[in-house]
Amino acid sequence: MVSSMAGGLIHDIKLSSVGPGNVTEPDMVHEPSDMNLAMKLHYLKGIYYFGKQAFEGLTTLNMKEPLFILLDQYPDICGRFRRTESGRPYIKCNDSGVRFTEAKCEKTMDEWLDMTKKNASLEKYLTPNQIIGPELAFSPTFLLQYTKFKCGGMSVGLSWAHVLGDVFSAAEFLNLLGQVVAGNKPNRPIKLGQMKSKSTNSESPLKVMEDPLSIKRVGPVGDNWITANNCKMEEFTFNVNATQLSHLQSKLLSNGTNFSPFEALSAVIWQCIAKIRGKSETKVVTISKKSEQNKADGNNQLISFIKADYPIVEAKPSELATLIKNAAFDEGEKIENAIKKDSGVSDFIFYGANLTFVNLEEEKFYEFDYRGEKPIHVSYRVNGVGDEGAVLVLPGPPKNGGRTLMAMLPEKEVIELKSELKREWFMD
Amino acid sequence: MPEMLPKYVKLGYQYLVDHILTFLFIPIMAAVSIQILKLGPEEILTIWNSLHFDFVQILCSSFLVTLIATVYFMSKPRSIYLVDYACYKPPITSRVPFWTFMEHSRLILKDNPKSVEFQMRILERSGLGEETSLPPAIHYIPPNPTMEAARGEAEAVIFSAIDTLMQKTSIEPKDIDILIVNCSLFSPTPSLSAMVVNKYKLRSNIKSFNLSGMGCSAGLISIDLARDLLQVHPNSNALVVSTEIITPNYYQGSERAMLLPNCLFRMGGAAILLSNKRGDRNRAKYKLVHVVRTHKGADDKAYKCVYEQEDPQGKVGINLSKDLMIIAGEALKSNITTIGPLVLPASEQLLFLFILIGRKIFNPKWKPYIPDFKQAFEHFCIHAGGRAVIDELQKNLQLSAEHVEASRMTLHRFGNTSSSSLWYELSYIEAKGRMKKGDRIWQIAFGSGFKCNSAVWKCNRRINTPNIGPWQDCIDRYPVHIPEIVKL
Repeated sequence: MVSSMAGGLIHDIKLSSVGPGNVTEPDMVHEPSDMNLAMKLHYLKGIYYFGKQAFEGLTTLNMKEPLFILLDQYPDICGRFRRTESGRPYIKCNDSGVRFTEAKCEKTMDEWLDMTKKNASLEKYLTPNQIIGPELAFSPTFLLQYTKFKCGGMSVGLSWAHVLGDVFSAAEFLNLLGQVVAGNKPNRPIKLGQMKSKSTNSESPLKVMEDPLSIKRVGPVGDNWITANNCKMEEFTFNVNATQLSHLQSKLLSNGTNFSPFEALSAVIWQCIAKIRGKSETKVVTISKKSEQNKADGNNQLISFIKADYPIVEAKPSELATLIKNAAFDEGEKIENAIKKDSGVSDFIFYGANLTFVNLEEEKFYEFDYRGEKPIHVSYRVNGVGDEGAVLVLPGPPKNGGRTLMAMLPEKEVIELKSELKREWFMD
Repeated sequence: MPEMLPKYVKLGYQYLVDHILTFLFIPIMAAVSIQILKLGPEEILTIWNSLHFDFVQILCSSFLVTLIATVYFMSKPRSIYLVDYACYKPPITSRVPFWTFMEHSRLILKDNPKSVEFQMRILERSGLGEETSLPPAIHYIPPNPTMEAARGEAEAVIFSAIDTLMQKTSIEPKDIDILIVNCSLFSPTPSLSAMVVNKYKLRSNIKSFNLSGMGCSAGLISIDLARDLLQVHPNSNALVVSTEIITPNYYQGSERAMLLPNCLFRMGGAAILLSNKRGDRNRAKYKLVHVVRTHKGADDKAYKCVYEQEDPQGKVGINLSKDLMIIAGEALKSNITTIGPLVLPASEQLLFLFILIGRKIFNPKWKPYIPDFKQAFEHFCIHAGGRAVIDELQKNLQLSAEHVEASRMTLHRFGNTSSSSLWYELSYIEAKGRMKKGDRIWQIAFGSGFKCNSAVWKCNRRINTPNIGPWQDCIDRYPVHIPEIVKL
């Protein structure tokens, strides 16, 4: 248990746990769906930056109490993984709880945000970085870190194992937390967790299907749920404000088709990366966006992949944007089938299996209201991204409009991408 | 041997011996009345007139009678009443589920997997449930026991219990005459009783006492002290606060015998209001009948069986010896020997005496007779020190599962809260609606020293199921079946 990180930049670190305030029924379990298990090697890391007023005057117990109340409705994230006899992981809802870290930062929030603009990987100190494993039964799947800055501002950092659900379910948890803090008693839309005898995974027959292209099998990781990369990955983030965005969209306009900011930005970045990668061109990308249906298991992503028939470098960005717009090969069923084939024992990665673009622009991250204060900045990234890389497109801070982009790419590509974007598209 | 007698013979015997005076009185009265009736009314008048009543004689005799009556009433000990009591209910943020405890333990003791394994086995068999509480400082990995945190816990527990008590009894702080606080392992300066005086602005001439170091049986020691003080001070009341502060006493080492208390001791506290005022006679819940204290400290083994010491690494903890249950049994026997004659009906005492004489004179092979305490008491509150203690006492006193239910359920819901556990158990019985006017209750507590203390109460009035209490939101879930080994 370290008490300081990054050479003292983050210090006074204290660990504890929060769990449900009321006891969960004994023998309750939660069985992640096939789609959830496909994502088990990925971890969503989110950071919500709040100004001074949000947490002013609150003691640690004041901050923990709403979590105890909300977690009554989340027996699945408070449990721990076990394996059935066949090796398929499931969660025993034993109230172990969520790991809670308190920390202090010696910089003010403004200084910190400036620092992270130049070096996005610093943000890893604001989120807990524990993976699931080597002992499944003692690894928390959801971890929180509340970091207090010198100016009084607070960042709420979370590490949400993707096997619990997608970004939308993580954001939903925090939005509900804000409501509990406000004194309401919100209900989680769908309650998970059931008694051991029942099983939600229906005995649907295995269909003969092609293998999905958006996920890649990786060597057995056993109980250490993280994949190894062949090269060091780095992340960088940049903001595109409303003016730059509309400028970009108008540049891409063709045949009167309007492209959404996600489509436009993804097309642009795809082309830049293809240019950088040269010979090993990126003809296949995976797109992930929120699905229309609200599925019960917490994974609401619509996954599709695109295969371009022509060299990306020579294509017009608007053609790429059209491809992205029309991406319709929903891989969901194929992924589920692949997992079912070996009872959820095999290990796969999704983000970074191919170059992945994740559309989060419509998500209501900035609605996480803590005592009447909204976050001044929200950043998300994914841990455990494969070598092909991934890009997240998030909404920008409300006062800017625009978008925030987080790219997780091999280290050597990051610098080139930065200069490419600056040169071609006047983005910084 | 008495077990072999048919039940109805035993019942008949008990009825006869317990009401022997009535059985003797009736024939005598019958004989006398027959004699009187045999003599005619004139004869009675003649006998009456033959008694010469002198004025002086009448005066002297009535003076004598009055004197004897006065001396009797003056020397009778004052009746001590328990007006009401309140138990601390820990907040949901203090809850410690089993697996959280185990996970933290593995991180704190990562170099001692055997000790972690040991703790897991203890927890599985402990009889504790998933809702017991530890104070905030102990939730940290590693625990963060500062003086400030310990004071914080003391304030939270004690003030909460006293606030609830004041609400229940409508007593004003300025009306409290005697204050006794017992907390074994946390004794700051100024004392916890001074802390209470400060918070509630009690009177400057209050008689305050702070008992520390006296173990889990200190609650009844405080009651005994309050009783003695209330004999000396007429028209007074006493506030007794029993608690154990966990924060500074969490063992941070890895010796197995010293890790046991970490697994069992939990946050809890109780505040009790005792009174000898006439005005409280009707509203008081219980009347204190007996307090019997037994101290086995003269025996070295008993003295050392619960011993605070440093482990080889210098970490301080409480060492529980392997002989604990045997010593507890001995202490219990001593206590029973004293309390038996005070509470048991004549039939049981006679039987016990008979068997005792028989063993000495006729045949030492006769099994010693264990008096049936179920005849003396309706309810039993056995200190929830651990599952083994309750099992042992249930066996020794031949109690049914229902008699020990309050103890087992308190252990499950609140853990071992040390001196206050007896009050949680009493609260359970009330919450279940089982307490009736006239019921007799036996509270037994064991503690370091080694001591065994008992208190006997009698229910003074009808008790409605309380609506404020530590059990209010969970009583409907109880009793629960507690398996021998919980599958974690």
